[in-house]
Amino acid sequence: MALTFSTIDDDENELVLKLGGQLDALSASELLPTIDKVIAEKRKRIVVELTDLELIDSSGVAAIVALYKRSRAIGTKLKVVGARDQPLAIFKLLRMDKVFNMA
Amino acid sequence: MLWYDAGVAEQTTIVLSMPAGLRYRDLAVRCVTSACHLVGQDADDVTNRDASQLELQRTFDAAFISAFSEIFNNIAIHAYERSGDGGLKLELTPAKDHLVLEISDNGKTFDLSSVPAPELESLPEGGMGIHIARACLDELEYTPGPPNRWRLTKYLRAEGEE
Repeated sequence: MALTFSTIDDDENELVLKLGGQLDALSASELLPTIDKVIAEKRKRIVVELTDLELIDSSGVAAIVALYKRSRAIGTKLKVVGARDQPLAIFKLLRMDKVFNMA
Repeated sequence: MLWYDAGVAEQTTIVLSMPAGLRYRDLAVRCVTSACHLVGQDADDVTNRDASQLELQRTFDAAFISAFSEIFNNIAIHAYERSGDGGLKLELTPAKDHLVLEISDNGKTFDLSSVPAPELESLPEGGMGIHIARACLDELEYTPGPPNRWRLTKYLRAEGEE
């Protein structure tokens, strides 16, 4: 399944980046222009919503880590929500669940 | 090409020969996922599994697919340097309590023992693939070729169970 992504910005302080499908070595580069736009918004908070994400690999994790580091650099807080099954297992394995404030 | 070798009564090997480009990975993942579901006593009747067995199966599937995805990436990106020209062969042998996947490729060889564990505290943006594969499997072996051969083994059992 291909990567799907969209942003929800109906809160002036918060921007939601919704990802679905597969975030992997093939699709992670598709996300880069959107990450640039999300960072350029300079909101107080970014929420990465992963309820519909079915599979992530190390390249996909790297894309979210890059977003996290860029957010932190401009003082924006980032959290990741909704991860389940394989994506959640990978974030826990890499000990990133706490870094990304995953419940 | 897909065929079955049912020469051994208790074990069947499923063989898939395919291009090693990243665009084909999803197809391979689907095949490996199906093979994961063949592991276990009641593989043909999932309706008889209780909640704990289903959770065990989901955990097994997620771990095996995570490991396989990283090894596929390694072959496509490093062994074949993203050329998309190379091929690989998957040999899946589901058994009662484990799954073995052997992957053969003819790309550049690789030194598995030289891959360091990533420093997770520094939030790395690379070098996590082999770490994920090792952590998700019971055994990960690599024999340089040609052909290079990866062997992935995972047992279907609850955490802490021997």
